[in-house]
Amino acid sequence: MARRKFATLKSFLNYIGVEGDRTIFTWVSASEGDRFAQVIKGVTAKVRALGPANKLVKKFG
Amino acid sequence: MENIETKLREEAKRLLLEKKVDVIIGYEKGTLPLTATPCFVTTPEEADNLVWNHLCTQNPVKFVHDLITQHKNAQKRVKPEDRKKKVIGVVARGCATRSLIIQLQERQYERADVYIIGVPCEGYVDGKALKSAIGGVDITEGSIDGDQIKMKTSDGDKAVALKDVLAASCRTCRFNNPIISDTMVGSPAAAMNPDAEYNEVKEFEGKTVEERWAYYSKEMEKCIRCNACRQACPSCYCPTCFAEQSQPQWVGIGEDKTDTQVFQLMRLYHMVGRCVDCGSCVAVCPMGVDLRKFLKKIDKDGWELFGNRAGSSMDDMPPLGKYDEHHDKEDFVFNP
Ligand code: SF4
Ligand code: SF4
Repeated sequence: MARRKFATLKSFLNYIGVEGDRTIFTWVSASEGDRFAQVIKGVTAKVRALGPANKLVKKFG
Repeated sequence: MENIETKLREEAKRLLLEKKVDVIIGYEKGTLPLTATPCFVTTPEEADNLVWNHLCTQNPVKFVHDLITQHKNAQKRVKPEDRKKKVIGVVARGCATRSLIIQLQERQYERADVYIIGVPCEGYVDGKALKSAIGGVDITEGSIDGDQIKMKTSDGDKAVALKDVLAASCRTCRFNNPIISDTMVGSPAAAMNPDAEYNEVKEFEGKTVEERWAYYSKEMEKCIRCNACRQACPSCYCPTCFAEQSQPQWVGIGEDKTDTQVFQLMRLYHMVGRCVDCGSCVAVCPMGVDLRKFLKKIDKDGWELFGNRAGSSMDDMPPLGKYDEHHDKEDFVFNP
């Protein structure tokens, strides 16, 4: 079940040190335009507060 | 243990003579002192090579899957009416029976394809811990005498208490007796100390996110991508591992440290509801990567979130294959 995968992945990433607020899940329907905007605002606010992601990021060159 | 060994050999002989099994996967004395190695017994005479002691480390269920897959593939080239059935016997302790349950639940083969010779287990010796307990010197001869391990080494005679060098997985094992079996050898072993199983995980959870990341990256930096952990693991049986797929390439195969972190993250995460804490991956890792610290968290989440312990019962289906609308928590969902 996808939702169980989400729950465990979020928890595991947090455990290895990738902040829990970077792994965000929710349900939004295509018809819920307003809620979609709310979600995106919420996500960007959380991620902005954490700053740039530099874990699990591969650098080339 | 001696007694179990004699009974095990008798049982193995009987099964081979009666043609109940075609091969028995067990353990024989290793080539190095104080080791035992997996072996494949196909004749009653060879059954005398079987051993069962504190040196039997690797999870044999890896080979059950290998042999069955090999046999199935070989049979594809045979006319249907000439196809033969093959039964794989396996000497299995608690953790190994959990792996069998997982492979059976994942429909890798039928229950009748395996014959399980259950053995009680009191833990195995962690080779790396033993080596460091004697200061890293070479062992030239050794034997287990009651609760002591006696050795001749390049630095004279040494003795170590068995309980001090048991593998971490064994010390806190909850399932040291077989969960399923076709025949049992020996009487059930005394309980280990399962109450302490999550102590290390709890301690790690208490650290800050940066400390946790620092530890994860430090451990994974040791990894040389030899894939021994994957090869040893009975739950890692995909014909093509994601680590080697090239279309798409999920993760680079080189020595880039992010690739290694991602490889490990993916292998570890694939163990949700599937890691039985047999410790085989930890035992084979040549670099001493602390894989268990992370695997145990996955086990803990499986238990705390879904009430599942991997492979602990034939009736409890894999946790990622179902959903419980009354008990599953919603707190991971983001609701702005
Ligand atoms: S991940 Fe390691 S401890 Fe877990 S089942 Fe596989 S080999 Fe055993
Ligand atoms: S066995 Fe150890 S070194 Fe080899 S790939 Fe696994 S973690 Fe890395």
